Amino acid sequence: MAEVKLVDVEKRYGSFLAVPKQSLTIEEGEFLVLLGPSGCGKTTTMRMIAGLEEITAGDLMIGGERVNDKPPKDRDIAMVFQNYGLYPHMTVAENIGYPLKLRGFNRQAREARVAETAEKVELGKLLKRRPSELSGGQRQRVALARAIVRTPKLFLMDEPLSNLDAKLRVTMRAELKHLHHELGVTTVYVTHDQMEAMTLASRVAVMRKGRIVQLDTPKMIYSEPANLFVASFIGSPPMNLIDGVISQGTFTAPGVNLPVSAADRGNVVLGIRPEELDLVPADGEGLFSGLLYALELTGESTLVTLREGTTVVCARGGADFDAPIGTRCALVPKAGARLHLFDKDSGERV
Amino acid sequence: MKRIFLWWGERALLLLVSCIVLFPILWMFLTAFKRPRDAYSISLHFKPTLSNFVTVFSDPWNLGEMVVNSVTVAATTVLIAVPCAALAAYSFSRFRVRGRKFLFFLILSTQFIPAVVIILPFFLMFRTLGLLDTRIALIVVNLAIVTPFVIWMLKGFIDAIPTDSEEAALIDGASRFRVIRDIVLPMAAPGVLTATIFCFILTWNEFLFALILTRRNAVTLPVGLVSFRTEQGDLWNLMSAAGVMITVPIFIMALLIQKHFTRGMTAGAVK
Repeated sequence: MAEVKLVDVEKRYGSFLAVPKQSLTIEEGEFLVLLGPSGCGKTTTMRMIAGLEEITAGDLMIGGERVNDKPPKDRDIAMVFQNYGLYPHMTVAENIGYPLKLRGFNRQAREARVAETAEKVELGKLLKRRPSELSGGQRQRVALARAIVRTPKLFLMDEPLSNLDAKLRVTMRAELKHLHHELGVTTVYVTHDQMEAMTLASRVAVMRKGRIVQLDTPKMIYSEPANLFVASFIGSPPMNLIDGVISQGTFTAPGVNLPVSAADRGNVVLGIRPEELDLVPADGEGLFSGLLYALELTGESTLVTLREGTTVVCARGGADFDAPIGTRCALVPKAGARLHLFDKDSGERV
Repeated sequence: MKRIFLWWGERALLLLVSCIVLFPILWMFLTAFKRPRDAYSISLHFKPTLSNFVTVFSDPWNLGEMVVNSVTVAATTVLIAVPCAALAAYSFSRFRVRGRKFLFFLILSTQFIPAVVIILPFFLMFRTLGLLDTRIALIVVNLAIVTPFVIWMLKGFIDAIPTDSEEAALIDGASRFRVIRDIVLPMAAPGVLTATIFCFILTWNEFLFALILTRRNAVTLPVGLVSFRTEQGDLWNLMSAAGVMITVPIFIMALLIQKHFTRGMTAGAVK
């Protein structure tokens, strides 16, 4: 276990700035998730921590020691790769035991540790197989076993579940969470899947264009997004974002009339989550009144999309909600619903 | 109907090409077992004999010495060229160094130089060094010929190997050299094997340099063949027997490792 500190770390490829100067501290034993869309610099950041990419400027400290110039093998880390990175010419047992072999463990000690680790990820019966004879989920577990066969200072996981099918992903997610609880090793996890980020992380760093735009607990990221990017990126379906103006304590936009406690201003974006809206009869008083545009049954609920002029608002209704498309409906915020206001130009929270 | 016609046409064409390619080889094998008077006859009915093989291994032909020379030169060249080329190919494939492309081009460009152009300087150089008619001279020359080729070949194979497994090994605690030994070379095994064979065949068949740089002590098999063109005419039966001795090792080698060519080692490494 160790604390990881990035101090003014920057990464350039020639003249291209991949990760602009920034600092980040990952606490000992923490599960930090780097979350962001493709190409936002999260993998580059992780690879710099791993030592697979050189750091252009700044300092990287692991356990209080500056490791900028240390090769990956001397950083005492373990990593799970997106594409597994298994050794195809070795058996499952040899794959898992390779880090131990490199550290001079004798055959007996190695076999015992490999067997123990393989049991943990339910690979006990597959030890003699080669990676090519395994399914995607099994390969993923071999990669995971290879990482946890020793107790490194730091785990790095680069989208480890992205190649698995939806069902297996949920199972493996729970296994990862349990493993972190059991081993307590500091973990940095890269993903573009917000569900993984929300369920696994102690803290989430949301990244955009190489920069961390918000670093907080999953709960705060969800309930207090710092800007429009985070607000629109987190949540499925995403937060409703309505362009409008505030005058005399009321937010107005096509079809919307909602009292807010904020000073008058133009060019403002109101954000409200679909699950914090209630469907009400069209003739009642509503935040938003519009024509029913689409109905999507997800199983446990129905996603209801209303449209009025340029404004589109989505709400989560009961699974039994049904109405013909084109019907006029209205939505009101639930009691205690959070309204988020953002400046349209800067995107920052008001 | 059209499909049947195509099927037969394809087979007929393949058969024709095979016949054209294989006929001289077949003829050489037959001639190797013929007596001198049968060598010029086109009849397939003759009494086979092994006397040609006995003759080529005895005085004055002494094919045995040439076999030793050829094996020594080819094996040593392979043993030096392939490991060196593998390291070079790995570096070219993985390290983004300034001038990398130019350097790679420079190495490859040595292959564009016709051998005839440099043979005289080589001759003078080895004469000055006192290395004429030695196996060392042949090994040095062959290394210069095959190494760029093997680098180029292996680079292609290494380029095709995903870097994930290598990076995993680096993080698991392996040094760069260990990564090459434990991960890259086993994964590139079919490529290394192919390069080794090509390297061996090129050196084994090399004629021009061996002809100019050797006289008596370091003569290799291909040069030895020329000695069967004597004042009494071409000794086809002996030349064929020597030809068989040259081709058989290559045939056997190709047969033994043929299956490795096609078997990819990268299956299962990544998704």
